[in-house]
Amino acid sequence: MLRPPADCAYEVPFPASAPARTVDKKSGYEEEVIHLFGLFRNPLLRYVISLGLSRHDGEEIIQEVFLALFCHLQLGKSRQNLRGWIFRVAHNLALKQRAANKKAQTMLDSDEARRQPDTAPNPEQQAVSHQRWQRMQAVLRALPEQDRFCLYLRAEGLRYREIAAALGISLGAVSIALARSLARMKPVDEG
Amino acid sequence: MFKEPGHLSDEDILLVLDGESSRRLARSAQAHLAACWDCRSRMGVLEGTIEAFVSLHRRTLDPELADPQGPSALLRARLAEIAAGRSTVASSSFSRLPILARSFAYLCAAVFVAVLGSRLLFRHPQPHPFLGGTFANRTVPDRRLTPGATRPVSIGDVCSMRHEEVVHDVSGSLRQQVFREYGIVNPRPEDYEVDYLIAPGLGGTEDIRNLWPEPSTSSTWNAHRKDALEERLHQLVCDGELDLGTAQKAIATDWITAYEKYCKSDTLAGAPVAHRQRTHLHGSRETSKAPTSAG
Repeated sequence: MLRPPADCAYEVPFPASAPARTVDKKSGYEEEVIHLFGLFRNPLLRYVISLGLSRHDGEEIIQEVFLALFCHLQLGKSRQNLRGWIFRVAHNLALKQRAANKKAQTMLDSDEARRQPDTAPNPEQQAVSHQRWQRMQAVLRALPEQDRFCLYLRAEGLRYREIAAALGISLGAVSIALARSLARMKPVDEG
Repeated sequence: MFKEPGHLSDEDILLVLDGESSRRLARSAQAHLAACWDCRSRMGVLEGTIEAFVSLHRRTLDPELADPQGPSALLRARLAEIAAGRSTVASSSFSRLPILARSFAYLCAAVFVAVLGSRLLFRHPQPHPFLGGTFANRTVPDRRLTPGATRPVSIGDVCSMRHEEVVHDVSGSLRQQVFREYGIVNPRPEDYEVDYLIAPGLGGTEDIRNLWPEPSTSSTWNAHRKDALEERLHQLVCDGELDLGTAQKAIATDWITAYEKYCKSDTLAGAPVAHRQRTHLHGSRETSKAPTSAG
Protein backbone atom coordinates (compact mmCIF):
# COMPACT_ATOMS: atom_id res chain seq x y z
CA MET A 1 0.00 0.00 0.00
CA LEU A 2 1.24 3.47 -0.82
CA ARG A 3 2.42 5.15 2.33
CA PRO A 4 0.54 8.42 2.84
CA PRO A 5 2.99 11.26 2.86
CA ALA A 6 4.09 12.93 6.04
CA ASP A 7 5.06 16.21 4.49
CA CYS A 8 5.13 15.65 0.73
CA ALA A 9 8.87 15.10 0.84
CA TYR A 10 8.48 11.96 -1.18
CA GLU A 11 8.29 11.09 -4.81
CA VAL A 12 4.93 10.36 -6.32
CA PRO A 13 5.46 6.93 -7.86
CA PHE A 14 4.57 7.99 -11.37
CA PRO A 15 6.68 10.05 -13.72
CA ALA A 16 5.74 13.62 -14.40
CA SER A 17 6.15 14.96 -17.89
CA ALA A 18 6.17 18.65 -17.08
CA PRO A 19 8.95 20.39 -15.17
CA ALA A 20 8.34 20.99 -11.50
CA ARG A 21 7.45 24.48 -10.43
CA THR A 22 7.70 26.02 -7.01
CA VAL A 23 4.31 27.01 -5.67
CA ASP A 24 3.29 27.98 -2.20
CA LYS A 25 -0.46 27.61 -2.36
CA LYS A 26 -1.17 24.99 0.24
CA SER A 27 -4.68 26.06 1.04
CA GLY A 28 -5.44 26.48 -2.67
CA TYR A 29 -4.27 22.94 -3.32
CA GLU A 30 -6.33 21.67 -0.41
CA GLU A 31 -9.47 23.20 -1.84
CA GLU A 32 -8.66 21.91 -5.30
CA VAL A 33 -8.09 18.40 -3.99
CA ILE A 34 -11.34 18.49 -2.02
CA HIS A 35 -13.11 19.72 -5.15
CA LEU A 36 -11.62 16.90 -7.23
CA PHE A 37 -12.53 14.43 -4.49
CA GLY A 38 -16.13 15.56 -4.81
CA LEU A 39 -16.00 15.03 -8.56
CA PHE A 40 -14.23 11.70 -8.68
CA ARG A 41 -14.95 9.93 -5.41
CA ASN A 42 -18.02 8.04 -6.65
CA PRO A 43 -16.55 6.94 -10.02
CA LEU A 44 -13.35 5.87 -8.26
CA LEU A 45 -15.23 3.99 -5.58
CA ARG A 46 -17.35 2.19 -8.16
CA TYR A 47 -14.20 1.31 -10.09
CA VAL A 48 -12.20 -0.09 -7.19
CA ILE A 49 -15.22 -2.01 -5.91
CA SER A 50 -15.67 -3.51 -9.37
CA LEU A 51 -12.06 -4.69 -9.10
CA GLY A 52 -13.14 -6.79 -6.13
CA LEU A 53 -12.43 -4.58 -3.13
CA SER A 54 -14.79 -3.98 -0.24
CA ARG A 55 -16.26 -0.53 0.17
CA HIS A 56 -14.17 0.01 3.28
CA ASP A 57 -10.91 -0.80 1.45
CA GLY A 58 -12.10 1.29 -1.46
CA GLU A 59 -12.66 4.33 0.75
CA GLU A 60 -9.21 3.93 2.29
CA ILE A 61 -7.57 3.71 -1.10
CA ILE A 62 -9.36 6.78 -2.38
CA GLN A 63 -8.17 8.73 0.65
CA GLU A 64 -4.62 7.75 -0.20
CA VAL A 65 -5.10 8.64 -3.85
CA PHE A 66 -6.08 12.17 -2.96
CA LEU A 67 -3.31 12.56 -0.40
CA ALA A 68 -0.92 11.54 -3.18
CA LEU A 69 -2.64 13.98 -5.53
CA PHE A 70 -2.19 16.78 -3.01
CA CYS A 71 1.53 16.12 -2.95
CA HIS A 72 1.62 15.70 -6.70
CA LEU A 73 0.16 19.17 -7.12
CA GLN A 74 2.16 20.70 -4.32
CA LEU A 75 5.36 19.46 -5.90
CA GLY A 76 4.37 21.16 -9.13
CA LYS A 77 4.08 17.93 -11.10
CA SER A 78 2.27 17.67 -14.40
CA ARG A 79 -1.42 18.43 -14.57
CA GLN A 80 -1.80 16.88 -17.98
CA ASN A 81 -4.32 14.07 -18.05
CA LEU A 82 -4.99 14.45 -14.33
CA ARG A 83 -8.05 12.20 -14.39
CA GLY A 84 -5.96 9.47 -16.03
CA TRP A 85 -3.32 9.96 -13.33
CA ILE A 86 -5.88 9.75 -10.51
CA PHE A 87 -7.38 6.55 -11.87
CA ARG A 88 -3.93 5.11 -12.45
CA VAL A 89 -2.94 5.61 -8.82
CA ALA A 90 -6.27 4.18 -7.68
CA HIS A 91 -5.92 1.23 -10.04
CA ASN A 92 -2.41 0.40 -8.84
CA LEU A 93 -3.30 0.74 -5.18
CA ALA A 94 -6.43 -1.35 -5.64
CA LEU A 95 -4.54 -4.16 -7.34
CA LYS A 96 -1.91 -4.05 -4.63
CA GLN A 97 -4.55 -4.21 -1.94
CA ARG A 98 -6.36 -7.00 -3.74
CA ALA A 99 -3.16 -9.00 -4.01
CA ALA A 100 -2.54 -8.47 -0.32
CA ASN A 101 -5.92 -9.82 0.49
CA LYS A 102 -5.74 -13.57 0.43
CA LYS A 103 -9.47 -13.80 0.06
CA ALA A 104 -9.71 -11.39 -2.85
CA GLN A 105 -11.16 -13.84 -5.32
CA THR A 106 -13.64 -15.17 -2.80
CA MET A 107 -14.68 -11.64 -2.03
CA LEU A 108 -15.10 -10.89 -5.72
CA ASP A 109 -17.34 -13.87 -6.23
CA SER A 110 -19.39 -13.32 -3.12
CA ASP A 111 -19.68 -9.59 -3.76
CA GLU A 112 -20.86 -10.19 -7.28
CA ALA A 113 -23.39 -12.67 -6.01
CA ARG A 114 -24.52 -10.26 -3.33
CA ARG A 115 -24.61 -7.12 -5.46
CA GLN A 116 -27.61 -7.42 -7.66
CA PRO A 117 -29.74 -4.67 -9.09
CA ASP A 118 -32.81 -4.25 -6.95
CA THR A 119 -34.59 -1.36 -8.55
CA ALA A 120 -36.65 -3.05 -11.24
CA PRO A 121 -40.18 -1.72 -11.12
CA ASN A 122 -42.06 -5.01 -10.99
CA PRO A 123 -41.33 -8.71 -10.36
CA GLU A 124 -41.41 -9.67 -14.04
CA GLN A 125 -39.02 -6.91 -15.05
CA GLN A 126 -36.96 -7.71 -12.01
CA ALA A 127 -36.64 -11.33 -13.15
CA VAL A 128 -35.63 -10.27 -16.67
CA SER A 129 -33.19 -7.77 -15.26
CA HIS A 130 -31.76 -10.41 -12.96
CA GLN A 131 -31.28 -12.90 -15.80
CA ARG A 132 -29.60 -10.27 -17.94
CA TRP A 133 -27.42 -9.28 -15.02
CA GLN A 134 -26.37 -12.88 -14.48
CA ARG A 135 -25.55 -13.41 -18.15
CA MET A 136 -23.61 -10.18 -18.29
CA GLN A 137 -21.68 -11.07 -15.15
CA ALA A 138 -20.76 -14.43 -16.69
CA VAL A 139 -19.44 -12.71 -19.83
CA LEU A 140 -17.58 -10.12 -17.78
CA ARG A 141 -15.90 -12.82 -15.71
CA ALA A 142 -14.78 -14.57 -18.88
CA LEU A 143 -13.19 -11.43 -20.33
CA PRO A 144 -9.43 -10.87 -20.09
CA GLU A 145 -8.79 -8.74 -17.02
CA GLN A 146 -7.43 -5.84 -19.03
CA ASP A 147 -10.54 -5.75 -21.22
CA ARG A 148 -12.64 -5.64 -18.07
CA PHE A 149 -10.57 -2.77 -16.67
CA CYS A 150 -11.06 -0.83 -19.92
CA LEU A 151 -14.79 -1.43 -19.84
CA TYR A 152 -15.19 -0.32 -16.22
CA LEU A 153 -13.05 2.78 -16.78
CA ARG A 154 -14.98 3.72 -19.91
CA ALA A 155 -18.22 3.24 -17.98
CA GLU A 156 -16.92 5.85 -15.52
CA GLY A 157 -16.57 8.32 -18.37
CA LEU A 158 -12.82 8.15 -19.03
CA ARG A 159 -11.60 9.01 -22.52
CA TYR A 160 -9.34 6.55 -24.32
CA ARG A 161 -6.17 8.51 -23.55
CA GLU A 162 -7.15 8.58 -19.87
CA ILE A 163 -7.76 4.84 -19.85
CA ALA A 164 -4.43 4.34 -21.60
CA ALA A 165 -2.71 6.44 -18.94
CA ALA A 166 -4.51 4.67 -16.10
CA LEU A 167 -3.57 1.21 -17.30
CA GLY A 168 -0.24 2.05 -18.93
CA ILE A 169 -1.27 0.71 -22.34
CA SER A 170 -1.55 2.19 -25.83
CA LEU A 171 -4.57 3.95 -27.29
CA GLY A 172 -4.90 1.16 -29.85
CA ALA A 173 -4.99 -1.46 -27.11
CA VAL A 174 -7.81 0.45 -25.38
CA SER A 175 -9.80 0.66 -28.59
CA ILE A 176 -9.39 -3.04 -29.37
CA ALA A 177 -10.19 -4.10 -25.78
CA LEU A 178 -13.43 -2.09 -25.72
CA ALA A 179 -14.61 -3.29 -29.12
CA ARG A 180 -13.76 -6.90 -28.22
CA SER A 181 -15.58 -6.71 -24.86
CA LEU A 182 -18.72 -5.20 -26.35
CA ALA A 183 -18.72 -7.75 -29.17
CA ARG A 184 -18.70 -10.53 -26.58
CA MET A 185 -21.46 -8.90 -24.60
CA LYS A 186 -23.62 -8.27 -27.64
CA PRO A 187 -25.11 -11.75 -27.93
CA VAL A 188 -25.81 -11.60 -24.22
CA ASP A 189 -27.75 -8.42 -24.65
CA GLU A 190 -29.60 -9.70 -27.67
CA GLY A 191 -30.36 -13.00 -25.99
CA MET B 1 -15.68 -8.83 -33.73
CA PHE B 2 -17.19 -7.82 -37.05
CA LYS B 3 -14.72 -6.87 -39.79
CA GLU B 4 -15.75 -7.22 -43.44
CA PRO B 5 -14.36 -5.52 -46.54
CA GLY B 6 -16.54 -2.65 -47.67
CA HIS B 7 -18.10 -2.17 -44.20
CA LEU B 8 -17.12 -0.47 -40.98
CA SER B 9 -15.57 -2.68 -38.32
CA ASP B 10 -17.02 -2.76 -34.78
CA GLU B 11 -13.90 -0.96 -33.62
CA ASP B 12 -14.39 1.84 -36.16
CA ILE B 13 -18.05 2.24 -35.19
CA LEU B 14 -17.11 2.42 -31.53
CA LEU B 15 -14.40 4.99 -32.23
CA VAL B 16 -16.98 7.13 -34.01
CA LEU B 17 -19.57 6.69 -31.26
CA ASP B 18 -17.03 7.59 -28.58
CA GLY B 19 -15.75 10.61 -30.52
CA GLU B 20 -12.28 9.07 -30.58
CA SER B 21 -11.82 8.68 -34.33
CA SER B 22 -9.72 10.90 -36.56
CA ARG B 23 -11.60 13.55 -38.52
CA ARG B 24 -10.94 11.65 -41.70
CA LEU B 25 -12.38 8.39 -40.34
CA ALA B 26 -15.32 10.25 -38.83
CA ARG B 27 -16.20 11.83 -42.18
CA SER B 28 -15.94 8.62 -44.19
CA ALA B 29 -17.77 6.65 -41.48
CA GLN B 30 -20.67 9.10 -41.42
CA ALA B 31 -20.94 8.88 -45.20
CA HIS B 32 -20.90 5.08 -45.05
CA LEU B 33 -23.46 4.91 -42.24
CA ALA B 34 -25.81 7.14 -44.20
CA ALA B 35 -25.75 4.64 -47.04
CA CYS B 36 -25.46 1.29 -45.22
CA TRP B 37 -28.36 -0.13 -43.21
CA ASP B 38 -26.28 -3.06 -42.06
CA CYS B 39 -23.65 -0.88 -40.39
CA ARG B 40 -26.32 1.44 -38.96
CA SER B 41 -28.06 -1.56 -37.48
CA ARG B 42 -24.80 -2.82 -35.91
CA MET B 43 -24.21 0.65 -34.51
CA GLY B 44 -27.66 0.53 -32.89
CA VAL B 45 -26.94 -2.87 -31.34
CA LEU B 46 -23.60 -1.59 -30.05
CA GLU B 47 -25.28 1.42 -28.44
CA GLY B 48 -27.88 -0.86 -26.88
CA THR B 49 -25.17 -3.08 -25.42
CA ILE B 50 -23.36 -0.06 -23.97
CA GLU B 51 -26.59 1.24 -22.50
CA ALA B 52 -27.43 -2.13 -20.95
CA PHE B 53 -23.94 -2.52 -19.50
CA VAL B 54 -23.79 0.98 -18.05
CA SER B 55 -27.27 0.69 -16.62
CA LEU B 56 -26.55 -2.60 -14.88
CA HIS B 57 -23.10 -1.41 -13.79
CA ARG B 58 -24.57 1.63 -12.09
CA ARG B 59 -27.53 -0.13 -10.57
CA THR B 60 -25.25 -2.81 -9.19
CA LEU B 61 -22.62 -0.51 -7.70
CA ASP B 62 -24.47 2.68 -6.79
CA PRO B 63 -26.07 1.13 -3.69
CA GLU B 64 -22.50 0.66 -2.39
CA LEU B 65 -21.84 4.40 -2.41
CA ALA B 66 -22.33 5.83 1.02
CA ASP B 67 -22.67 9.50 1.86
CA PRO B 68 -19.40 11.18 0.77
CA GLN B 69 -19.53 13.83 3.51
CA GLY B 70 -17.72 11.71 6.10
CA PRO B 71 -14.87 10.63 3.79
CA SER B 72 -14.60 14.18 2.48
CA ALA B 73 -14.28 15.55 6.00
CA LEU B 74 -11.67 12.94 6.82
CA LEU B 75 -9.66 13.85 3.74
CA ARG B 76 -9.86 17.52 4.66
CA ALA B 77 -8.50 16.76 8.13
CA ARG B 78 -5.66 14.67 6.70
CA LEU B 79 -4.79 17.36 4.18
CA ALA B 80 -4.75 19.93 6.92
CA GLU B 81 -2.26 17.80 8.82
CA ILE B 82 -0.01 17.52 5.80
CA ALA B 83 -0.36 21.18 4.94
CA ALA B 84 0.54 22.10 8.50
CA GLY B 85 3.75 20.15 7.96
CA ARG B 86 3.14 17.88 10.89
CA SER B 87 4.78 14.52 10.64
CA THR B 88 1.82 12.26 10.77
CA VAL B 89 0.93 8.92 9.37
CA ALA B 90 -2.62 8.26 8.32
CA SER B 91 -4.38 5.71 10.41
CA SER B 92 -5.09 3.44 7.46
CA SER B 93 -1.45 2.71 6.82
CA PHE B 94 -0.51 3.04 10.44
CA SER B 95 -2.87 0.23 11.30
CA ARG B 96 -1.01 -2.02 8.88
CA LEU B 97 2.29 -1.68 10.73
CA PRO B 98 3.42 -4.68 12.77
CA ILE B 99 1.91 -4.72 16.25
CA LEU B 100 5.28 -4.28 17.97
CA ALA B 101 6.13 -1.29 15.79
CA ARG B 102 2.73 0.21 16.44
CA SER B 103 3.01 -0.35 20.17
CA PHE B 104 6.40 1.31 20.20
CA ALA B 105 5.04 4.21 18.17
CA TYR B 106 2.08 4.58 20.51
CA LEU B 107 4.41 4.51 23.50
CA CYS B 108 6.61 7.20 21.98
CA ALA B 109 3.57 9.26 21.04
CA ALA B 110 2.10 8.89 24.52
CA VAL B 111 5.33 10.01 26.15
CA PHE B 112 5.62 12.89 23.72
CA VAL B 113 2.04 14.00 24.30
CA ALA B 114 2.38 13.69 28.05
CA VAL B 115 5.56 15.78 28.13
CA LEU B 116 4.27 18.33 25.67
CA GLY B 117 0.89 18.49 27.36
CA SER B 118 2.33 19.08 30.80
CA ARG B 119 4.58 21.84 29.45
CA LEU B 120 1.76 23.52 27.64
CA LEU B 121 -0.52 23.36 30.64
CA PHE B 122 2.22 24.76 32.81
CA ARG B 123 2.86 27.65 30.44
CA HIS B 124 -0.79 28.32 29.66
CA PRO B 125 -2.94 27.87 32.70
CA GLN B 126 -6.18 28.55 30.79
CA PRO B 127 -8.16 25.38 30.19
CA HIS B 128 -7.77 23.33 27.05
CA PRO B 129 -10.77 23.96 24.81
CA PHE B 130 -11.89 20.37 25.18
CA LEU B 131 -11.09 20.14 28.86
CA GLY B 132 -12.50 23.49 29.73
CA GLY B 133 -16.03 22.65 28.83
CA THR B 134 -16.31 22.92 25.08
CA PHE B 135 -15.88 19.25 24.52
CA ALA B 136 -17.12 18.13 27.90
CA ASN B 137 -20.50 19.54 27.01
CA ARG B 138 -20.55 18.06 23.56
CA THR B 139 -23.01 15.31 23.11
CA VAL B 140 -22.20 14.64 19.47
CA PRO B 141 -18.77 13.79 18.06
CA ASP B 142 -16.70 16.03 15.82
CA ARG B 143 -17.63 14.86 12.33
CA ARG B 144 -14.19 15.74 10.99
CA LEU B 145 -12.60 13.33 13.42
CA THR B 146 -15.40 10.79 13.70
CA PRO B 147 -17.37 10.57 10.49
CA GLY B 148 -18.25 6.92 11.18
CA ALA B 149 -16.94 3.79 9.49
CA THR B 150 -18.72 0.61 8.54
CA ARG B 151 -17.88 -2.86 7.32
CA PRO B 152 -19.79 -4.61 4.55
CA VAL B 153 -22.53 -6.55 6.30
CA SER B 154 -25.79 -8.07 5.22
CA ILE B 155 -29.06 -7.79 7.08
CA GLY B 156 -28.60 -11.47 7.93
CA ASP B 157 -25.26 -10.72 9.62
CA VAL B 158 -26.71 -7.84 11.58
CA CYS B 159 -29.82 -9.67 12.72
CA SER B 160 -28.29 -13.06 13.45
CA MET B 161 -27.14 -11.82 16.86
CA ARG B 162 -28.79 -9.82 19.56
CA HIS B 163 -27.68 -6.21 19.38
CA GLU B 164 -25.98 -6.20 22.76
CA GLU B 165 -23.96 -9.30 21.87
CA VAL B 166 -22.17 -7.57 18.98
CA VAL B 167 -20.06 -5.21 21.09
CA HIS B 168 -16.31 -5.60 21.01
CA ASP B 169 -13.60 -4.35 23.31
CA VAL B 170 -11.65 -1.40 22.03
CA SER B 171 -7.95 -1.84 22.61
CA GLY B 172 -6.29 0.37 25.18
CA SER B 173 -3.95 1.90 22.63
CA LEU B 174 -6.84 2.77 20.33
CA ARG B 175 -8.74 4.39 23.21
CA GLN B 176 -5.71 6.49 24.02
CA GLN B 177 -5.45 7.44 20.36
CA VAL B 178 -9.07 8.60 20.41
CA PHE B 179 -8.43 10.80 23.42
CA ARG B 180 -5.32 12.24 21.83
CA GLU B 181 -7.21 12.96 18.65
CA TYR B 182 -9.80 14.91 20.62
CA GLY B 183 -7.11 16.68 22.61
CA ILE B 184 -8.24 15.21 25.92
CA VAL B 185 -5.37 14.95 28.36
CA ASN B 186 -5.55 12.73 31.43
CA PRO B 187 -9.24 11.83 31.13
CA ARG B 188 -11.01 10.71 34.29
CA PRO B 189 -12.64 7.28 33.96
CA GLU B 190 -16.00 8.54 35.16
CA ASP B 191 -16.12 11.40 32.64
CA TYR B 192 -15.92 9.59 29.30
CA GLU B 193 -16.70 6.39 27.54
CA VAL B 194 -15.01 5.58 24.26
CA ASP B 195 -18.05 4.74 22.20
CA TYR B 196 -18.73 3.55 18.70
CA LEU B 197 -20.53 6.19 16.66
CA ILE B 198 -22.10 3.51 14.47
CA ALA B 199 -22.61 0.54 16.77
CA PRO B 200 -21.01 -2.78 15.74
CA GLY B 201 -24.49 -4.23 15.84
CA LEU B 202 -25.37 -1.90 12.99
CA GLY B 203 -22.24 -2.66 10.99
CA GLY B 204 -19.88 -0.13 12.60
CA THR B 205 -16.18 -0.99 12.80
CA GLU B 206 -13.47 -0.65 15.40
CA ASP B 207 -11.84 2.15 13.50
CA ILE B 208 -10.65 5.43 14.91
CA ARG B 209 -13.01 7.19 12.52
CA ASN B 210 -15.88 5.41 14.25
CA LEU B 211 -14.82 5.99 17.87
CA TRP B 212 -15.26 9.07 20.03
CA PRO B 213 -15.02 10.00 23.69
CA GLU B 214 -18.64 10.26 24.76
CA PRO B 215 -19.14 12.33 27.91
CA SER B 216 -20.81 10.33 30.67
CA THR B 217 -21.73 13.43 32.60
CA SER B 218 -24.53 14.78 30.44
CA SER B 219 -27.84 14.30 32.22
CA THR B 220 -30.02 14.16 29.14
CA TRP B 221 -28.17 13.16 26.00
CA ASN B 222 -25.88 10.57 27.46
CA ALA B 223 -24.59 7.09 26.70
CA HIS B 224 -27.78 5.44 28.01
CA ARG B 225 -29.85 7.41 25.55
CA LYS B 226 -27.57 6.47 22.67
CA ASP B 227 -27.73 2.80 23.67
CA ALA B 228 -31.50 3.04 23.48
CA LEU B 229 -31.28 4.49 19.99
CA GLU B 230 -28.90 1.75 18.86
CA GLU B 231 -31.25 -0.95 20.10
CA ARG B 232 -34.22 0.75 18.51
CA LEU B 233 -32.48 1.08 15.13
CA HIS B 234 -31.33 -2.53 15.30
CA GLN B 235 -34.89 -3.60 15.98
CA LEU B 236 -36.28 -1.48 13.12
CA VAL B 237 -33.67 -2.81 10.69
CA CYS B 238 -34.31 -6.42 11.64
CA ASP B 239 -38.05 -5.93 11.46
CA GLY B 240 -37.59 -4.71 7.89
CA GLU B 241 -38.96 -1.27 8.75
CA LEU B 242 -35.73 0.60 8.14
CA ASP B 243 -32.94 0.22 5.61
CA LEU B 244 -29.56 -0.57 7.20
CA GLY B 245 -27.79 2.20 5.28
CA THR B 246 -30.39 4.71 6.44
CA ALA B 247 -29.92 3.60 10.04
CA GLN B 248 -26.13 3.93 9.76
CA LYS B 249 -26.40 7.34 8.18
CA ALA B 250 -28.92 8.57 10.74
CA ILE B 251 -26.80 7.65 13.73
CA ALA B 252 -23.57 8.88 12.12
CA THR B 253 -25.01 12.22 11.04
CA ASP B 254 -26.71 13.31 14.26
CA TRP B 255 -27.69 10.68 16.77
CA ILE B 256 -29.79 13.08 18.83
CA THR B 257 -31.96 13.95 15.84
CA ALA B 258 -32.15 10.24 15.06
CA TYR B 259 -33.25 9.54 18.63
CA GLU B 260 -36.00 12.11 18.39
CA LYS B 261 -37.11 10.62 15.12
CA TYR B 262 -36.98 6.92 15.85
CA CYS B 263 -37.48 6.78 19.62
CA LYS B 264 -40.15 9.45 19.70
CA SER B 265 -42.63 7.29 21.55
CA ASP B 266 -40.21 6.79 24.41
CA THR B 267 -39.98 9.41 27.09
CA LEU B 268 -36.60 10.99 27.57
CA ALA B 269 -36.00 9.56 30.99
CA GLY B 270 -37.44 6.20 30.18
CA ALA B 271 -35.53 5.02 27.17
CA PRO B 272 -36.02 1.28 26.60
CA VAL B 273 -32.58 0.08 27.43
CA ALA B 274 -32.83 -3.48 28.61
CA HIS B 275 -29.14 -4.15 28.74
CA ARG B 276 -26.14 -2.15 27.91
CA GLN B 277 -22.65 -3.18 27.06
CA ARG B 278 -20.16 -0.49 26.45
CA THR B 279 -16.46 0.06 26.28
CA HIS B 280 -15.49 2.10 29.26
CA LEU B 281 -12.41 4.16 29.70
CA HIS B 282 -10.50 1.21 31.07
CA GLY B 283 -11.72 -1.15 28.41
CA SER B 284 -13.88 -3.34 30.62
CA ARG B 285 -17.22 -4.42 29.29
CA GLU B 286 -20.15 -3.91 31.51
CA THR B 287 -23.70 -5.08 31.39
CA SER B 288 -26.17 -3.22 33.46
CA LYS B 289 -29.82 -2.49 33.74
CA ALA B 290 -30.86 0.96 32.69
CA PRO B 291 -33.91 2.84 33.88
CA THR B 292 -36.96 1.37 32.28
CA SER B 293 -39.61 3.96 32.92
CA ALA B 294 -40.08 7.61 33.59
CA GLY B 295 -42.43 7.29 36.43
